[in-house]
Amino acid sequence: MTDTPPDKGQQPVTSTPPYRPKVVQQSLDMTPPEIRMPAKVEGDTWLSSTHNKGLSLGTATLGLGVFSLIGFFIFDAYTTLSASFASHPIGSGVLATLLCGFVASFSYLSFREWRGYKQVNKALEQATHIASLNAQSSVKTVESVLNKHGKQFSSQSYAAHCYRQFNAQVQPDMTAKERLGLYQDTVINPVQTKAQQLLNKESLTAGSLAFISPNNLIQTFAVIWVSFRTIRRMANVYGLRPGTLGNWSLMKVLAQNIAAQGIFDLATDEVANQIGGSLSAKFMENSAEAIAAGALNMRLGKALMKILK
Amino acid sequence: MQKGIAALLDKTLETVNVTGEKLANVFSKETHRFTITGLSRSGKSVLFTSLMTMLKSRSEEGYACLPLLRYLPPSLVEHMAVEPIEGYKPFPVDENLKKLDDGEWPAATEEAYGFKLIIRLKQVSTFKRHLFPHTNIVFEFIDYPGEWITDIPMLNKTYAQWSDSAWAQLSSGPQQYYAQQWKAFVNDFDFEQAPSNDAMLALVSAYRQYLFTAKANGISLLQPGSFLLEASHFDWHQYGFTPLPSSITSDVSHPWFIAFNEHFQRFQKAWLTSLKQSVFRETDKQIILVDLFEGLNHSRQHLYQLKETLSHLADTFVYGQTNWFSRTVLRKQQIGKVAFVATKADLVPVSQRDNLLSLLKQVTEGARARFADKPIQFEHFLVSALPVTDDGEAENSVRYRDVNTGYVEATFEPIPATLKDMEPDAHFPVPLAQVPSDYKARMLNGKGVDRLLQFLLVNGEAS
Repeated sequence: MTDTPPDKGQQPVTSTPPYRPKVVQQSLDMTPPEIRMPAKVEGDTWLSSTHNKGLSLGTATLGLGVFSLIGFFIFDAYTTLSASFASHPIGSGVLATLLCGFVASFSYLSFREWRGYKQVNKALEQATHIASLNAQSSVKTVESVLNKHGKQFSSQSYAAHCYRQFNAQVQPDMTAKERLGLYQDTVINPVQTKAQQLLNKESLTAGSLAFISPNNLIQTFAVIWVSFRTIRRMANVYGLRPGTLGNWSLMKVLAQNIAAQGIFDLATDEVANQIGGSLSAKFMENSAEAIAAGALNMRLGKALMKILK
Repeated sequence: MQKGIAALLDKTLETVNVTGEKLANVFSKETHRFTITGLSRSGKSVLFTSLMTMLKSRSEEGYACLPLLRYLPPSLVEHMAVEPIEGYKPFPVDENLKKLDDGEWPAATEEAYGFKLIIRLKQVSTFKRHLFPHTNIVFEFIDYPGEWITDIPMLNKTYAQWSDSAWAQLSSGPQQYYAQQWKAFVNDFDFEQAPSNDAMLALVSAYRQYLFTAKANGISLLQPGSFLLEASHFDWHQYGFTPLPSSITSDVSHPWFIAFNEHFQRFQKAWLTSLKQSVFRETDKQIILVDLFEGLNHSRQHLYQLKETLSHLADTFVYGQTNWFSRTVLRKQQIGKVAFVATKADLVPVSQRDNLLSLLKQVTEGARARFADKPIQFEHFLVSALPVTDDGEAENSVRYRDVNTGYVEATFEPIPATLKDMEPDAHFPVPLAQVPSDYKARMLNGKGVDRLLQFLLVNGEAS
């Protein structure tokens, strides 16, 4: 007996009724398009910008201010010595230029702070829109809101990096709910995680600086510096610039932190005095201040995350 | 004495190791058993091949495919491994990919294959991260010939019951057009002769010829489908049987009835029972693959017949929710989640896919009625595991590489949203697409597989 089926491949004897085809086919004289491989998920290689390229505007402003101040001192001395402003037009011209530069740069910085403030408010408004979206929203609405939200991220930020990943994965047949879920997975959650990681790192830095600071003044300056750096770096993760002076609530938290750090310094000094001036007492004092500085920086970061989330 | 202590110590250490592994498995291993129920030509092999390629490319090559599979976020996947399941041949994924490379479709499955897909995820829970740094998600898949599945309902019937119902089916529906030759053969057959081996073989061969003809013409309810495959391990040459006219099955003393009844019982005991225990074993999730194009390609009657077949299939499985105790301690599984999947969805234009989904929902009505009174979660999906079409110029057209005529555009009239809407004298000829040269890119851009897996993996997802 053969193992092959008796009539497999042969035309069967059937009498099926004729059916009308509902598909019309037409040959095309063209080359079929090649489908591209999907985008690759880029590794989590985004780094917070820690190195400034060249001279920053802030430094230039400070420099100009210092130079102006020095210039005025020199000018003042010079005028005092010469007792004649009209007889020294070049010196007054240089000083006027330095002063103009300082005023112009300071004005631009102020404008940038105001713009940052407006940007945060816009972001908060967009975040409210995203929260109001749900599975019942139309695909078009969701697409429009997510596009607006994504486009406000500054191009070098981590959020913009995540948004590019989102765009690479979104497919035309996805529903509103699926698009929202994908946005949550590829943008909102990773940004939040990255911000938390950065905050942990910055808080550790704050604690370390507090620990090694030789006196309270340096410690306070270190805390202020780390606080500002935390704000700047976290804003870079979120792709928004909150404005160094723009957000009042953030500044309030920062001021509270500095005050709390000062009070804590006093308290630890007093405790250290009571214990005695031994090395272990100093170690205890610095450790306590380091923990406090880390915790306060964490508090600042949490407030920032709440604002930018 | 020293040897005794050493042996005792070894034994103790071994026990501790085994206990530790078991404990780790309880907390860090999650097993999902899938049964993929699909008729012949429903696209099981291509789905498996695509699924494995997608998961591998996603975890090892970093391609952003399966974006909606939120249960397995790429950032948490450490690695993926494929392991065989004991008692099964490993799934021939490499052979299938080689065939696709050569421009051929994977061969139809003619025996059972099994494989485990183990995906190792980084632990996210803070507490568990320190104890068990990763979680293993284990998928168990079994691929088997679609011809076997249609035979399982025969287990619950006597020969007379099966023969009468099969004979009735041959006289109605689309089967009637293909059974004429077989019926003519039976009419001319001399049942007064003793059922010798040669006589029985002649009858069985004629019936088998009908089965092949019907299969080639889109009939899904083919019993016994196992007779179509040589790899079925049931000797149909020796113990074959066919449906007989009721004039014979009504007479239990008729020699032909006695002979075929005996062969039928042997088929049930020697083949179907072991098949059900090994291949269709208890699982907790079921994917029912439906190739609607087999129906659309032929006629409305074929779609009704597909609906009937699915209804019979659903009768084969045990549905219900299994709690932790019965699953873990009693080792008892019931299917608690069912996904009805229309494969090859890319063969119709995007504008017609809502209608296709609606049609799928109607075709599965009978199957769903089997668990209507149970808390079963179910959902319908359109899946293109390897999309072979491109969008056409008009919204109701698609383009594809035809096996004979090169690149063609197929323009569709509206796909019916219900069976009633399908005209009885019309059909939608299925595009005969060749394997595209960019098949891997198309696989990774496949649609619907991520939705399907996400639905099956997430607990408590509402249907």
